[in-house]
Amino acid sequence: MILETELPAFHEWIAWAPLLWLAVVGGVAVLGLLFGSLVAVVRHGPVAGLEITGKVLLSSVWDLFNMLPRSLRWLNWLVNKGALPYRVLAVVMLFIVFLGLAFVILDRETPLSLPLIVICSVAVAVVFLVIFFMFVCLVCEFLCMSPRRLGALAWLAVKDSLRRRVLIVFILFLLLLLFAGWFLDPGNEHPLRLYIGFVLTATSYLVLLLMLFLSALSLPTDLKNKTLHTVVTKPVRPSEIVLGRMLGFIALGTLLLVVMGAISYIFVVRGLNHTHDVLPGSLKAVAPGDDPAKGDVPLKGTSSMANGHRHNVLLGPTGNGRLEMAQDHFHRVVAKQEGDKTRYEVGPPEGLRIARVPVYGKLRFIDSQRHEADKGTNVGDEWTYRSYIEGGSLAAGVWSFEGVTPQAFSDQLQLEMTLGVFRTYKGDINKGIPGVLLLRNPKSGLTVETKIFESREFSTDVHRFPRKLTPMTAYVLRREEDAEGKVKYVRDELPGAMKSRYDLFDDLTDDGRVEVWLQCLDAMQFFGTAQPDLYLRAQDASFALNFAKGYFGIWMQMVLVVSFGVMFSTFLTGPIAMIATVGTLVLGFFRDYMVELALGKTYGGGPVESFIRLLTQDNVVSDLPAGIRTTVAHSVDAVLEKAIGAMAQVLPPFGRFECPDYVAHGFNVPADWIAERGLTALGFAVALFVVGYFFMKTREVAR
Amino acid sequence: MPNDVIIEARNLTKVYRDFWGRQKVRALKALDIEVRRGEVFGLLGPNGSGKTTTIKLILGLLFPTSGQVLCFGRDATDVTKNERIGYLPEESYLYKFLSAEETLDFYGRLFKMSRRLRRQRTSELIEQVGLTHAKKRQLREYSKGMTRRIGLAQALINDPELILLDEPTTGLDPLGIRDMKEMILDLRRRGKTIVMCSHRLDDVEDVCDRIAILYEGELKELGRVDSLLKVRDVTEIHASGLSEKAQREITQLIQREGGEVISVGNPTTTLERLFLDIIAESKAHPGRRVRGVKES
Repeated sequence: MILETELPAFHEWIAWAPLLWLAVVGGVAVLGLLFGSLVAVVRHGPVAGLEITGKVLLSSVWDLFNMLPRSLRWLNWLVNKGALPYRVLAVVMLFIVFLGLAFVILDRETPLSLPLIVICSVAVAVVFLVIFFMFVCLVCEFLCMSPRRLGALAWLAVKDSLRRRVLIVFILFLLLLLFAGWFLDPGNEHPLRLYIGFVLTATSYLVLLLMLFLSALSLPTDLKNKTLHTVVTKPVRPSEIVLGRMLGFIALGTLLLVVMGAISYIFVVRGLNHTHDVLPGSLKAVAPGDDPAKGDVPLKGTSSMANGHRHNVLLGPTGNGRLEMAQDHFHRVVAKQEGDKTRYEVGPPEGLRIARVPVYGKLRFIDSQRHEADKGTNVGDEWTYRSYIEGGSLAAGVWSFEGVTPQAFSDQLQLEMTLGVFRTYKGDINKGIPGVLLLRNPKSGLTVETKIFESREFSTDVHRFPRKLTPMTAYVLRREEDAEGKVKYVRDELPGAMKSRYDLFDDLTDDGRVEVWLQCLDAMQFFGTAQPDLYLRAQDASFALNFAKGYFGIWMQMVLVVSFGVMFSTFLTGPIAMIATVGTLVLGFFRDYMVELALGKTYGGGPVESFIRLLTQDNVVSDLPAGIRTTVAHSVDAVLEKAIGAMAQVLPPFGRFECPDYVAHGFNVPADWIAERGLTALGFAVALFVVGYFFMKTREVAR
Repeated sequence: MPNDVIIEARNLTKVYRDFWGRQKVRALKALDIEVRRGEVFGLLGPNGSGKTTTIKLILGLLFPTSGQVLCFGRDATDVTKNERIGYLPEESYLYKFLSAEETLDFYGRLFKMSRRLRRQRTSELIEQVGLTHAKKRQLREYSKGMTRRIGLAQALINDPELILLDEPTTGLDPLGIRDMKEMILDLRRRGKTIVMCSHRLDDVEDVCDRIAILYEGELKELGRVDSLLKVRDVTEIHASGLSEKAQREITQLIQREGGEVISVGNPTTTLERLFLDIIAESKAHPGRRVRGVKES
């Protein structure tokens, strides 16, 4: 499993995301407005067409003025016909301000020539002016909206949906859970993944499909039955119709998700809960000489079968002990003496429902001369995800961590890692490759070699460092930078004698920063690592909360589905709106690929070039033969790639809202993830509302 | 007084176009009408003559192709004008899954009405339209007449100044029609302005002060009902206490003037007659305003 760990911190993300959002939404809005005006001009003639566009833009400003208290009505002259010269003057002045701003910025930030700067400034100023007007109109529209009407319309949407047998979906969900026992294999190696995967998938499919149907069909049905006529002839604003519906469906979806989430949680908890019996007949002494009949000796044996698995039992001399790890969990065993018989009480499964909080570091590599490098050795693996550390040399992988404080980690540092191993010779295949972990203080350079371990492939290795560390050896690794900026580490001896104990937090961290160095000890063998392969594990978060976060992911998807469904249904008929919504969401899944395509990161070039390769059966890596055909293909591709890139920015990153992997694998969903995705979903919902509002406003309800 | 003009249509034209912008139907051709405060204004015409289009343009449900409608001095697309308007659509387009009470409460919430006022208006209106016995039932169980009544009730929820009624009597039985007409007249007595369209001549004749007759999107006739129905080339004299001699003299006078006495009186025609005449005339001379009778 690869978890997304290149997640930017929230404060970094928030610095550029709103700007990007504004650029995308602003761009789409301007294009939409131009397109709308063009349609209006074609259909109604140039004068009437532009008048309609103007009216659409300005009517909310006009409405706002109508709502002013009488004492402020004199402001009406601003929007009255009589004030036309003043308004034109205001627009011209605003345009000049935008023009000046655009000119100064373009002049300072770009190396363009003067005529180009002038042309670009005019274009930018026009776009700014349109965005400004749209923004003003939207603000006015928001101020004119009434919560009471919004509430009434949202209530209607909920009531309408309930009438459309929402309950059937709910009953379907319950039935699915009731019969889940038939097809959920209890003997699965990772039962939590299975259960979480099942409930999250079932819920998301049911809820998303239901919301798709409801949101895309609701407005068109109202238009077809003409029930909307009765509503829009009341003082209801188009924005309220769109937003009321969105809010109603979101409220309904939220309610469904909360109830389904609660039921799912109980289902998961109860489904995974089980206990075993210790089979007394299977208990044998661990040491061959001991006699189990005498008691007070360590025993091992097996447990009874439950949930399709059994555990190895390991009991201490007192009779207490545990059922060892199987299927991601263990049980504690307490021995109770009843007369001359010992009864073993087995506790509930532990370690199964967890939410690990990994603290990821930044990975860099050190080569065999202790020079810093971006990447490790390339062993020719076809998958370049991991980089390799050469064994038996000074080469190392270095993870720098931050936030390592006693508060977050209590009195020990737990480190978990998954290593890939590349063997240049087979050796003893049953034995792991030895490696060593070093802890280094990035400020003082104090480095402590702590433990030698044996690699275990394809499983997570856990290492615990107690607060008081006993070093195998200690020295200082001094960072040196040469004239070219190359970084080298030099080993110095300790200034004093080596201490018998080093304090993890006092000696080895500097303001919460610590480095973990990983070296491979076996010459000619390699350790393969990637940044997320090694992490520190802070104190666990609550599983129930993490489960709720998984549902929050579905909630955000639901918000997107509803927003798209309602937006499309403002100008498309029901079935078409549904297809458009599904189409957009499916395209959204390919968004990242489209961005890669637009940035030219994919093999085989752009659309035209790949098509030529397809026809000529050329491979994707070699360059096309130079010539006019290739030049034309590249030029067309350059334009198409820009278009694809722009389109990708507008599509919702639908797949990114899924987080069952986090929950199912027992990882805490980071707060940054929640904040960023939540804001992204909100950004989309707002943008879609605006688009839907303009469509609703420009359409004739009675057509 | 300009304040007395509630609806003002100037050169109002509506052309229906298909998806590609090609002209399909010219539903309304350069309509000019004014509706004044306190009158019952009837739009009369056969099916497809542009009555409903006119009402939808007034409500802002459609946008005019050219020309303008002002309602309370504001553009028809301005939603704030709806605060003072009640609209009963051709068929009551209501949400069938709501009960009568819920329906009125829902539409009441779309206006600036407190919860208390809403409750009060709801129960008043339900009683007024005679649905007290069925106020908790879903509208899907309602008969056509009952649906019409609740439709009227929702149009009156905000105590509007202007009420637009699209075919108010369709689907009603004779008793229902009589109730509806009485309700319209009652509204007029309370100073409301009413615009109704219908192809039922008797409805219009009974309740309207002024009518406009439309045919194929053109205004054919506009004026007060009583003056429109007056047959101007026939004189009707009702008198009592005339002597034989006086009667003879009058008859002689008529004969001397080239007249012929049919009966002495000044009858009115029926609206039906007038309507059919106008239709026949329009078919014979398309595009011409029939008699040019302006209101007296």
